[in-house]
Amino acid sequence: MLSADFVIATAIAYVGLLFVLAYFGDRRAKANKNSWLNSPAVYTLSISVYCTSWTFYGAVGNAARSGLEFLTIYLGPTLVFVGWYFLLRRLVRISHLHRITSLADLLSSRFGKSSRLGVLVTCIAVVGIAPYIALQLKAVTSSIQAVAGSSEFGQGSLKGIDDVGLAFGVAAGMALFTILFGTRHVDAKEQHHGVVAAIAFEAVVKLTALVAVGVFVVFIGGGFEGIFRLAAERGLAVDTATSFDSRWLTTMGLSIAAIVCLPRQFQVTVVENSNENHLRVAGWAFPAYMMAMSIFILPIAVYGLAVMPEGSNPDMFALTLPLSQGQNGLALFAFIGGFSSATSMIILESIALSIMVSNHIIMPMVLKLSAIRQNSDGQGVTRVLLIARRVSIILILSLGFFYFFFTRDSDALAPIGLISFTAIAQFFPALLAAIFWRDASLKAVTAAISAGFVVWAWSCFLPSFDSVSPAVSALLDAGPWGISWLRPEAMFGLEGWDPLAHAAFWSLSINIVTLVIGSLITSPSALERIQATAFVDVFRHSGLPQRVFVPGSATANDLFFVAERVLGEKRAAALFEMVARERGVDPVMMEPTPEFVAHLERELAGSIGAASAHVMLSKVVAGADVSLEEMMQMADETQQAKEYSQRLEKTSEELRLTAQKLEDANAQLRELDSQKDEFLSQVSHEVRTPMTSIRSFSEILLEPDELDEVQRHRFVSTIHHESLRLTKLLDEILDLSALERGERSWENVPVDAEEALNRALAVCDALLRQKGFQVEFGERSGTTMVEGDADRLCQVFINLISNAVKYNDAPQPRLRVTSLVRSGNFVVDIADNGPGIPKAERTLIFEKFARGLRGSVDQTGAGLGLAISRQIVTRMNGTLELAQGQLSGACFRLRLPILGQK
Amino acid sequence: MLVLTIGGGLLFFPPLVLLFNHELTVFGVPQIVVYLFAIWVLLIIGTALLTRRLPRDATQDGTEGDG
Repeated sequence: MLSADFVIATAIAYVGLLFVLAYFGDRRAKANKNSWLNSPAVYTLSISVYCTSWTFYGAVGNAARSGLEFLTIYLGPTLVFVGWYFLLRRLVRISHLHRITSLADLLSSRFGKSSRLGVLVTCIAVVGIAPYIALQLKAVTSSIQAVAGSSEFGQGSLKGIDDVGLAFGVAAGMALFTILFGTRHVDAKEQHHGVVAAIAFEAVVKLTALVAVGVFVVFIGGGFEGIFRLAAERGLAVDTATSFDSRWLTTMGLSIAAIVCLPRQFQVTVVENSNENHLRVAGWAFPAYMMAMSIFILPIAVYGLAVMPEGSNPDMFALTLPLSQGQNGLALFAFIGGFSSATSMIILESIALSIMVSNHIIMPMVLKLSAIRQNSDGQGVTRVLLIARRVSIILILSLGFFYFFFTRDSDALAPIGLISFTAIAQFFPALLAAIFWRDASLKAVTAAISAGFVVWAWSCFLPSFDSVSPAVSALLDAGPWGISWLRPEAMFGLEGWDPLAHAAFWSLSINIVTLVIGSLITSPSALERIQATAFVDVFRHSGLPQRVFVPGSATANDLFFVAERVLGEKRAAALFEMVARERGVDPVMMEPTPEFVAHLERELAGSIGAASAHVMLSKVVAGADVSLEEMMQMADETQQAKEYSQRLEKTSEELRLTAQKLEDANAQLRELDSQKDEFLSQVSHEVRTPMTSIRSFSEILLEPDELDEVQRHRFVSTIHHESLRLTKLLDEILDLSALERGERSWENVPVDAEEALNRALAVCDALLRQKGFQVEFGERSGTTMVEGDADRLCQVFINLISNAVKYNDAPQPRLRVTSLVRSGNFVVDIADNGPGIPKAERTLIFEKFARGLRGSVDQTGAGLGLAISRQIVTRMNGTLELAQGQLSGACFRLRLPILGQK
Repeated sequence: MLVLTIGGGLLFFPPLVLLFNHELTVFGVPQIVVYLFAIWVLLIIGTALLTRRLPRDATQDGTEGDG
């Protein structure tokens, strides 16, 4: 016969074994990244922490009491895993990218790194899970008592200890064990390989134990058929007709939410996932595991009902059936299986919750108090973190214990678990919105979760204290202050429903409605939008949102100081060295770039949560943290308004520019108009002078016999000369206007520009000599081919030289000619030591008839030469301009692109 | 895969599930129990087969189209 002492000793020995497993698991994982620990099988087994003692004991009891309902708890998760590609894959990808450490972290990170939301989610999770922890304590306590009660000496040292004392002992032991297990160090990604290894082992143990009991029961019951026939004979037909009511739907829905939102499930499925591809296996293997777990539950329940004495606790059938048959070994195995499922749940749940509590409640408080600054020890934050975890584990287990203490008289296991499921399900709408709905906003989610939680506390949590306090009972019957429509189990007059379905319906409906309406009427902040895009489009952009931290006054040293305190000296140094090496700079000399700060933030987020890391780094890195690019993409309202006003501004600016242009054009037109007038008056003037002299001379000649032959001849030759001048002027005008309009075309052919220059100099040679010019030659380029017309080019040079001659009144006139090739151009400078051209006239001299003030003295030219010359040069793709010459006077510079130099 | 998930969901929920809730037994086991487990097995097998056809994620942070 088994005694309580013996099973407790076995349990402790079993825990010791788990600890050894976890220890070696950790070492192995550290030594080798690709060990068997990192396999999909271990991953799948660790997910099966979903099957707790609720499954082991409670499901049997549930099946005995309400038929098939227990199945929904496994069918819901089956659907989630069958559809892993849609939800879980997305969650895992997001969490890997953003170093998410918990559900609270995910939601707070998604909704603008709000620390308040993190606190809310954490608090609700802690309160909501308390019944679930209590369930495990109850199950373990009951199982020990079931063993102890099975024989007269079974009590052993438990004599005199009631279930509360026993449960307290179990809770204390679990707390110690969890602390030893889960808080030995702080991992960057909050992954606990050792724990996972132990959990996986436990998964095998509990499955084997339950299957062993199941096979045994089926064996002694004469097969499935035998069991059901036996049950039918005793009038115990499994009542399936009433199974598929609102409860079926409710529990199925709740279990779908729970498999994702339960802190420990999120921890094992998402956070501890080291490889997305593991989901591929888990997608079918985890449902298979659950099916294997539940396949014998109904037979055990039915057989138990049939053969066990009236009034035995159906929750303990898995244990008491073997005991009643004298199978002590099997019973012990069953006990270990149940114990296994309870420990693994408690360990992981408390680890997951303690991560939330420390990251979202304790760390922000510590940061606010800035205790780290005073603590110069490099391990400061890490130690604070570990202490925070340990304290929260004790707190969580205490809450579970107190819940157990108050509700220990309520009967079955499964309903307690469902209270937790309903609480946790409040996160599910927010979670879905977080990863699928871009417009979901922080305010809406906060309000939705709060509202759902309040309704849950009122309609689900409170009624569970029914048996504890008469006040609660009265409240349930009459409602607060006699307001009947506020009765927790019949809110708004919805009476006659199953309490669970009622609570789930109201809390989730209000939750979802608040979330949807709230999101539609509120506008998210910039950071929320950034995170929303990053989360919702996680498969579209692989990258993280690039936040632009303005590095401000922060140096790499400051950042290292922070990193060292969170990550520990070794890891911080390794991180900085790695980044420095990537960039090829000395770690000491490294500049903190925005990318580096973002990278660091993610690393820190792995240890202390996104919100805390963000607050911490924002403190260090003073400056804005909004990505301009993202801001542009997201049509923030302010952004839209800004864009609109910018557009308006731009339009008016354009209008202003257009008006300006119009004004300029008008001025130009007027200028042209006046130029035209001037041109005409110039032309008239130019024409009138010779015409006047021609007319007056011809008039004299018309007077008969007043002149002698000599005089007549002189006059006629003057008339001839003037008409020649007139013709020349008209020719020039025609030439210019033809050139301007591009009518007079010539073929640009390769010509030797230097030769044209020489020719011009030769033509002007006589003139130069006559005026006593001293001609200097600077550098000469030699034969240079340009595209153009040799005669025209020569004409330009002659014009320039003759101008220099014409206007030079220096006593010792000099002319300097240089030609050279400079950057692909043939450049000719023709400079003189004449009076030069006054600044005011420099832009005018290329205009028609503009001779310059000096030139107006001399009337021999019409003032069209430079204008024509410039036109010609332009037609050869060259330029003609005034330059700073080497002599005191004017210097004309002609520039032509060369073809090639021979 | 979507069909499998939604289909499975529909088959587990009323009213479809009621279609198979009769007083019949298969080898002594109520029909509804057999039905539920059969759907369960089909879902598991279906997922395993479908998963095999899905392309693997090459890297942890590789980009790919949305599912």
